[in-house]
Amino acid sequence: MTNATISTILIVEDEPLVRMHGIDILEEAGFAVIEAGDADEALDILSAGASVQLIFSDVDMPGSMDGLELAWLVHQRWPCIHLLLTSGHHRLEKAQLPIAGLFLPKPWTSESLTDVVRDFAGR
Amino acid sequence: MQHLRRSGDDAFDFEELFDTAPCGFVVTDGDGALLRANRTFAAWIGQSPDILRGRRFPDLLTKPAKIFYETHFAPTLRIRGRLDEIALEIIDADGRKHPVFVNAIESDGARDRGRQIRFALFMATERRGYERGLAEARDKAEAMIVSERADSDLREQFIAILGHDLRNPLASIGSGVRLLEKESLSDRGRTVVSLMAGSVVRATVLIDNVLDFARGRLGGGITLARDDREPLEPVLRQVVAELRSISPDQPIEAEYALVEPIPCDRMRIGQLLSNLLGNALTHGAKDQPVRVEASTSQDELVIAVTNGGDPIDPDALKRLFQPFFRGHDRVRQGLGLGLHIASEIARAHGGTLVARSDAVATTFVFTMPLARSEDNVAK
Repeated sequence: MTNATISTILIVEDEPLVRMHGIDILEEAGFAVIEAGDADEALDILSAGASVQLIFSDVDMPGSMDGLELAWLVHQRWPCIHLLLTSGHHRLEKAQLPIAGLFLPKPWTSESLTDVVRDFAGR
Repeated sequence: MQHLRRSGDDAFDFEELFDTAPCGFVVTDGDGALLRANRTFAAWIGQSPDILRGRRFPDLLTKPAKIFYETHFAPTLRIRGRLDEIALEIIDADGRKHPVFVNAIESDGARDRGRQIRFALFMATERRGYERGLAEARDKAEAMIVSERADSDLREQFIAILGHDLRNPLASIGSGVRLLEKESLSDRGRTVVSLMAGSVVRATVLIDNVLDFARGRLGGGITLARDDREPLEPVLRQVVAELRSISPDQPIEAEYALVEPIPCDRMRIGQLLSNLLGNALTHGAKDQPVRVEASTSQDELVIAVTNGGDPIDPDALKRLFQPFFRGHDRVRQGLGLGLHIASEIARAHGGTLVARSDAVATTFVFTMPLARSEDNVAK
């Protein structure tokens, strides 16, 4: 785990408006954002070599795996990528997340999202 | 006749009593050979009392009962001298089985008679039928419980999915509204977006209440996720802000005097405040402000919501927190779940929710005990 600052965030969220909202908040906070509509898309993007320092993913998504499974997979294959999960409906404990992963419940505000992302950057 | 005995002025026919008693009487010697049987018993067996004489009592039982007799009944009787309410089964001359209850007593060998065993037998067909019926009813009840649990698991899943499916589009709209707010809009556009935001808030509150209620009715009650790592005050402020945005014409005054950390489920306390405020805004006088006071003392958290307007009548006051209670406001009703859910949240936190109402004001007060650690006392 390096102490590189975060410049690019990959957002994984299946609801288009919610995804747009997240992108908006993060771009306004100064981050570059890549988007994916589900875990499979996210893995394609990462496998293609995109440089990403943080994944911000919803838990419940259609497709071959949910956000939590995606987090564990990413942790295995790209251990340097920070993991931030979110959900309106599950409430995840730290123990369920890979080491140093964080959980942010929905609905997020502009502040709550940027605060927790900056939290990662400060490590 | 030697069987008549004088007892006072009446002579009593003991032989007749023995023979025609409403139970079977059997007397055997110490080895179980019949010395005497009454007519009632003989009729059950389907043989005359004379023929029965000399037969061994255990030979008149079904095989399993006979084994039980030899291995348990007889030895125990020998030791204790008396056995009561033992279930056996006799078999008649036609091979039919009859369940019986048996009491037996040993009489020691006195008067050159040798050891005797005296049996009293009662037909148990009705009783066994009843016991079997009970056992069947119990088995059915157990099967029903298992199937009800399975049903309730399905219902729980259904509610979880329903909640998820209802909330998703709503969350989507909510995000859209936030995005639109950042666009440059006409005044009208701003109003529209603001009203949409209010609708999203109201719909979310409604879904939360309905799903909580449905889940609570299934016996789960309100579950909490207590967390004192995050402060409560921002959540309360957020709730007040949301409700201000829905009712822009009704002033809400709020005072906060909270010392954190407050161990509670922040989202639930937020929901409680939201339901109380919603109630105050709906039913309170529109020309008077609604007041929110949230404070902590040494040992409790208190959140009070006050509105003006007509008092709640004492009858209604008693039933306020029951589900589906809707009061008599003709114009605005709603589901009648908000106060019920709020009281359930209060209860789950080990606290109370009470309502006071008079001509001046109506106040709902939520009080929750706080277990303070030593280091917080100084504050």
